[in-house]
Amino acid sequence: MTSSWLGIQTSLRGLLAQQQALDVTTHNVANASTVGYTRQQAVLTTTNPLMLSTGATATGGAIALGQGVDLQSINRIRDTFADLQFRAQNQSLGYSDETAKQLDQVQSVFSEPSDNGISNVLGKFWSAWDDLANHPETTATRDAVVNQGQLLTDSINQVSSQMTQVQSQAQTEYAQDIGPNGTVQSAATQIANLNQAIKNAVGQGAQPNDLLDQRDVLLDTLSDLGQVKVTDLGNGAIDVNFGDAATPLVADGTVTWPQTLSAPGGRLGALLQLGDPSTGKIASFLTQLDSFASQLQTSVNTAYGGTFFSGTSAATLAVAETSATLHASSLATPPAGANDAALAVAGLRSGTADQSYSALVAKIGGDVANSLNQRSTAQALQSAAQDRRQSTSGVSVDEEMVNMIQFQRGYQASARAMTTIDEMLDQLINRTGRVGL
Amino acid sequence: MTFHRITPDMTRRSLVDTLGDLTTRIAASQKEVSTGKRITQPSDDPLGTQRAIDLRGALAGTAQYTNTVQDSSGWLQTADDAMGQITDVLHRVQELTVQGGSDTTSQTARDSIADEVDQLINAVKQNANTSYQGAYVFSGTATTTPPYLQGADDTYKGDAGTVARTIGPGISVQINQLASSFLGSGTSGADGKLLDTLRGISAHLRSGASSDHDLLRTTDLSSLDTNLDQLSQARSTAGAMMNRLDAAQSRLADVQVTTTKVLSDTEDADMATSIMNYTQQSNALQAALKTGASLIQSSLLDFLH
Repeated sequence: MTSSWLGIQTSLRGLLAQQQALDVTTHNVANASTVGYTRQQAVLTTTNPLMLSTGATATGGAIALGQGVDLQSINRIRDTFADLQFRAQNQSLGYSDETAKQLDQVQSVFSEPSDNGISNVLGKFWSAWDDLANHPETTATRDAVVNQGQLLTDSINQVSSQMTQVQSQAQTEYAQDIGPNGTVQSAATQIANLNQAIKNAVGQGAQPNDLLDQRDVLLDTLSDLGQVKVTDLGNGAIDVNFGDAATPLVADGTVTWPQTLSAPGGRLGALLQLGDPSTGKIASFLTQLDSFASQLQTSVNTAYGGTFFSGTSAATLAVAETSATLHASSLATPPAGANDAALAVAGLRSGTADQSYSALVAKIGGDVANSLNQRSTAQALQSAAQDRRQSTSGVSVDEEMVNMIQFQRGYQASARAMTTIDEMLDQLINRTGRVGL
Repeated sequence: MTFHRITPDMTRRSLVDTLGDLTTRIAASQKEVSTGKRITQPSDDPLGTQRAIDLRGALAGTAQYTNTVQDSSGWLQTADDAMGQITDVLHRVQELTVQGGSDTTSQTARDSIADEVDQLINAVKQNANTSYQGAYVFSGTATTTPPYLQGADDTYKGDAGTVARTIGPGISVQINQLASSFLGSGTSGADGKLLDTLRGISAHLRSGASSDHDLLRTTDLSSLDTNLDQLSQARSTAGAMMNRLDAAQSRLADVQVTTTKVLSDTEDADMATSIMNYTQQSNALQAALKTGASLIQSSLLDFLH
């Protein structure tokens, strides 16, 4: 025989369970636009049945009488494999995006093809020498040669210094990111704190879904900066390995930072690679620019028969002659109309120096085009990975609305059931055995 | 990629990504249409950029060669005019020599003729001292030294240098004539060239000896013929060089046109294609905006009361 109040208790359980499920739904709806939010699902299960061993059925057998519903848990719907994929693509996108950004800056330093770049100034330089060859007696043509020479060296110096600036800016940005006030440090500290909080909650048997969400957002941020590898410690805490650092960045509650990185991937990897003054991409462009400047200097000085250009690198190239000291001929005591040196220098047009320069511009353009392509591919892959995550974890407002209606009706049904039982009990208690009243 | 579950966030993000993609492409097309250039930075077409830089360099070279050709033509024209003047003088001297050599001419007349011949010698030297833009054209590479001094000194003061000009890649030409080759150095040079001959004629006219009168009629006239040949030779060399420069000029003009065309093919946008692309992408953007707007706004909430 079961208790009279069993039905009410069962209905009560129903009310409470539907209400809690509705609370989860409203939580989901409220966070529909929150970054990194994982939808939560209330898992309702039947309670343990009441076992009535004998005498419950007509034939005297046993029954297991259900006692309603319980909220078993609030699950976080998250696909950890999709997270892994996303972080890998995000790291790849961070790398190619940063590379494309920096290289584009380098490219715009050159202003080619246009009338404002070095190639135009170089053309005018050769023409000035030819004008000198045509009129070696006048000072005007000498002035022009020296002026154009200075314009040329100024342009080359400027391109070199601007490229160096991009390189050092990359280095500064890198230092800032890995520094004590940088993104890595702050993310790592927060993750360590969350590890502690989550561990405590898990230890008490709770499921700290929102804390887990926060931790995942931090891991996403880190993955943009460099490669992230997560090891689950089983007690709610995680170990985080960042880039190719020797020690884990976060080991449970311990943060080990700063460390040295050599190829971390992600934005940091790009900045490190580009800003490296010896093996970096920008360094290789600077070397090529220096070699162009050196070729220019050697070929002009040889044809000139003297030192027209001084300085062997793009940053130090300068004009060593003045209008007064400039000669149009490399003979010892040249007659006024001799122009062999001027002709020789003018004849260098479209030679090795010009070709070396246009090859350098093409190389930079090619590298930028490559990085832009890589960026679009990485962007597409990252979007696809994000979609995959969202498909599992994202809040669908339509779905939540339907759930809301379901739980609302469930609540109403349980309440109605309770009212029915109440009326029945009222009938039993207040009106049974009263005859004629 | 197909998913079993599409959330509004996915739809929104997909719309934003697509719009972003379309607007980026429209921006590029618009830039192409407004600048008229297909290549505005090296990454647009790295090899095309290299070719464009090389072609621009070649164009600058062609323009400079054209300048040089025009400058050299000016030089040669000046030289030719001067030699023309000298030829006229030579013809006049021929007349005077015949006149002076005639037995019917009196000594007084011969003296007057000799005076004229002396003046003509100065005229010849003055013509030889022609300059073009501050350079003496007949002095070789000693272009700030006049080839002859006025007065009794007939020696050539210039040098034997070649005035060279570059009229094309690796093409160097000599544009000057040496005055010493057709005028010589006068009596001190004793080279039988024009100045020597003219001094001789002047001396023979003044001498009064009949043997000299004979010389006037024979040796001097034939010397003048030889000198005329030397002068003509110099003029024809100059004329040939002028022809060569004319040919170079028209060839350079052709090269200019061809190179400009190749540069345009490399660098410039085909306006028809660019505008068509722009229109197409503009339409696609409109369509995406319209459909996206209606898509992201509808949800179940519109239908629940």
